[in-house]
Amino acid sequence: MASSCPFHAVVDRAFGIDAAGVPAEPGARKDFPLMPVGTALDMGHAPDGTPLFDPRIFTTLEFQRNPYPYYRILRDHHPVFHDRLSNAYYLTRYDDITAAYLDDLGFNTIPKGSSSGVLGNTQLELSGIEHRRRRNVYGRHLVGLALEKRKPYIERLANELIDAWGLDGSSGTIELARSFANEFPIRVVCQVLGIPDDGRDRFFYWYSSMMNGLGGSDTAQQGREARQDLEDYVAELVEQRRKQPTFLYDEAGASIGKDIISELCATEIDGDVMSTEEITSNIALVVGGGGETTRGAILNMWYLLLQHPEQFAAVRADESLWDAAFHETLRHSTSIGGQPRQTTFDVTLHGVTIPAGSLVHCVDVSANHDDRIFAEPESFDIFRPDLYSGKLLRSGYAKEGRFSHMAFGVGPHLCPGAWISHQESVIGSMVLSRRLRDVRITVEQMPKDIDGTSLAPIGLGSIRNLWLDVELA
Amino acid sequence: MTGSRRTAAPEVAVDEAAAGFRTYEVYQRERVWEPRPPIKPRELYTPQFLDDPYPVLTALREATPCYRDWPGNAFWVTRYDDVTSVFVDEPNYVTRPRAWFAELEGIGQNRRDEIAVRGCVTRIVDAAAAEVAHALCDELAAEQDGAGAADLAIGFAARYPVELWARVLGLPAPSFAWFAERLLRLRRAGSWEPRSREDARTAFHELLAGLQPVVAQRRDAPGDDLISVIAGLGGDERDVVATLLEEDHDTLHGSLANLWFLLLTHRDQLGIVTEERRLVKAAWLEAMRHSTPVLIARRFTRHEVERFGRLLPDGALVVCSAAAANRDRRAFPDPDTFSITRKDLCHREARGHYRADGLCSPVSFGTGAPSKHPALPEDRPRSRFALTRDTAVTASRVLLERLGDVTLAAGATPTLRSLQWGELRTCWSLPVTFTPR
Repeated sequence: MASSCPFHAVVDRAFGIDAAGVPAEPGARKDFPLMPVGTALDMGHAPDGTPLFDPRIFTTLEFQRNPYPYYRILRDHHPVFHDRLSNAYYLTRYDDITAAYLDDLGFNTIPKGSSSGVLGNTQLELSGIEHRRRRNVYGRHLVGLALEKRKPYIERLANELIDAWGLDGSSGTIELARSFANEFPIRVVCQVLGIPDDGRDRFFYWYSSMMNGLGGSDTAQQGREARQDLEDYVAELVEQRRKQPTFLYDEAGASIGKDIISELCATEIDGDVMSTEEITSNIALVVGGGGETTRGAILNMWYLLLQHPEQFAAVRADESLWDAAFHETLRHSTSIGGQPRQTTFDVTLHGVTIPAGSLVHCVDVSANHDDRIFAEPESFDIFRPDLYSGKLLRSGYAKEGRFSHMAFGVGPHLCPGAWISHQESVIGSMVLSRRLRDVRITVEQMPKDIDGTSLAPIGLGSIRNLWLDVELA
Repeated sequence: MTGSRRTAAPEVAVDEAAAGFRTYEVYQRERVWEPRPPIKPRELYTPQFLDDPYPVLTALREATPCYRDWPGNAFWVTRYDDVTSVFVDEPNYVTRPRAWFAELEGIGQNRRDEIAVRGCVTRIVDAAAAEVAHALCDELAAEQDGAGAADLAIGFAARYPVELWARVLGLPAPSFAWFAERLLRLRRAGSWEPRSREDARTAFHELLAGLQPVVAQRRDAPGDDLISVIAGLGGDERDVVATLLEEDHDTLHGSLANLWFLLLTHRDQLGIVTEERRLVKAAWLEAMRHSTPVLIARRFTRHEVERFGRLLPDGALVVCSAAAANRDRRAFPDPDTFSITRKDLCHREARGHYRADGLCSPVSFGTGAPSKHPALPEDRPRSRFALTRDTAVTASRVLLERLGDVTLAAGATPTLRSLQWGELRTCWSLPVTFTPR
């Protein structure tokens, strides 16, 4: 058998034998062509029939747009996948990830993920008691009563953004990201933090730069510079507010309480006030977590709902269904792929020993598409009976055949912005749908799938743009 | 729980409550000090890197002692002193086995460090080195009806180590092709590429099955070969294959091909060794320095280590770049020149140190710790490094002797290349013409 692979050629020519089974030498990207959505590329098989998994696919466009069949291979055949190219382990099953998230001791958060270069040292990287002491300091502003008090502001903000389209009573084409979803969550974050109005445009720039700089990417330097600018800016605010705290007011002018920065300035942990560095890092995290993810959730939710008109009609008819739509969106297509953990000691799972100190990727996206938990995970169905869409619980929810999705994680590191993100997305979308008399996706403006006609799948992360033909009431 | 750290760390009273905060602070500093990255994150994983890693490695070496490679989740060490310091620092760094399946399936015991095994390998390789080289030269000369044209990379460099190991195992000639193919495939057992690794595993099981009757037979009627020695020690075919698996087959193959690639593309240097046969050893050492076939050695930290201006976490992968260290001008002035007569290269064996006589040795083997058997008498087996060196030198001398006026075939433009990331970087095709002698 002739082959272009030099290794193959050496075996062939040096010994005059046919080295059957020696793999052909794969080139760069041409090995990962785009496949129809839901179908995995054949990456070879072991002699016993087990599909093999080439770790290079993680960085390809094919995986970015069509990840779920590949995660299915990992879940079914390599529940603990060791990626030797990038020295990491992947956990992909819902149960394994839940167990890892709840085991704060065995799977710690010490790995300074590639985000720490940009975001700094945040809650993401603390564990145990250090983490628990700080958690409530940040978290209590984002739950319960504090949230209810913020509701009128969020509604007003959404209406302001829609008014700015200047389309009242008429129809037109808008791009939802630029004219609503980008700005809406970041304005809420600024309000919660108590950032003065004049800082908000810069805030938006810092936030986008920092987001682009995550993951050890080419733009990490820009991210770090933006982070430094943000730090300088916030440090000044912190110094001011240590002397003079600022307060938030509701519609009627009554004080809601201090904004988060002022609260943090006065908070003592272990008998000491928090350092400016620490406050800044966590504000950077709130900016990232509160902005990017909610933006993605809103865009994905509208993209998916508008592709399922009967479900969209049901939501418009019964606004209480927005909760289910939100949670099903996050289950189906969430912005954050997963979280890194580090093993504190050797762990043996499914016959694979993960040495102490290894990087373990817990793939939330895969857990959400685990058919051991969610039937027909690839379909978008806000009425699915196996998804829990009630009050968010730190422990997760797994009762009577209903399960919480993994987009916010579970356990000690459950996303502290889960509640406010839910509130923003649902209220924002509710306001939006009330104002819209008619809406449909401007198909010709949207990216297409490989067949050139149907809409592109969301894949990992969120869509960047959503063009809509709208008619306002 | 954190047992490894407890035993390995020096006896210092640890303030448990403060320990976490110290770590936190060190990371604060690390973030603040993060320099502008010298390369783009993916540049270590491009096809260009497979062809020529040196520009990227030079950028790393000159910019930072320890580069944080996020896509590979590793720390790259590139300076000569740093790389050698990791190799000798066994309390802090550990090597993990290359092939996962041997461990996973509980197969075999690696006996390569036992005296009897080393002695047997050394004896047979020494005896057969010249003989095998002559046999291969006969075949080269007979190629193309004795026209004096052959491919040194395929016909000699790739075959020579396999033929030697067939001798070491005492395999009969008819089973040679069978063994050779499986040994070549087995060399990819440590690959990150799943198909190569699966293929190596298949080869591994085929070798086990094929060697089983041989081991049984040698146990009853021992001969002078490695299988008999291992059988005599109470081992079986699983130990034989486990030992084969951990042996280094790449370096002999790669160093022969790279040495001849460099000699043929540097005619003046070829002239020097043709004149002075004793300089073949110097040429081999210089070839290992200039174009080392094995580019990296992986080490993992045993516990948290603060080194190279960084905090290396527990279990961190430290990639020691031999290629970069060998071109470090702090160790070798004028490092990019291939010169057999350079005066700054140590010709002695690096045993636990790299600067014997105040000169730097090439970093080609992780010859870190001194021998496990430091006080053996005269018949002490030579180290693996010395054995590979002597074998390669013997083979090259035979080539010089047998191939008269050896020169690159007309129009040939050979190159050095890794086929896959992290694999042997060598010359895969080296067509030559010569006058058979």
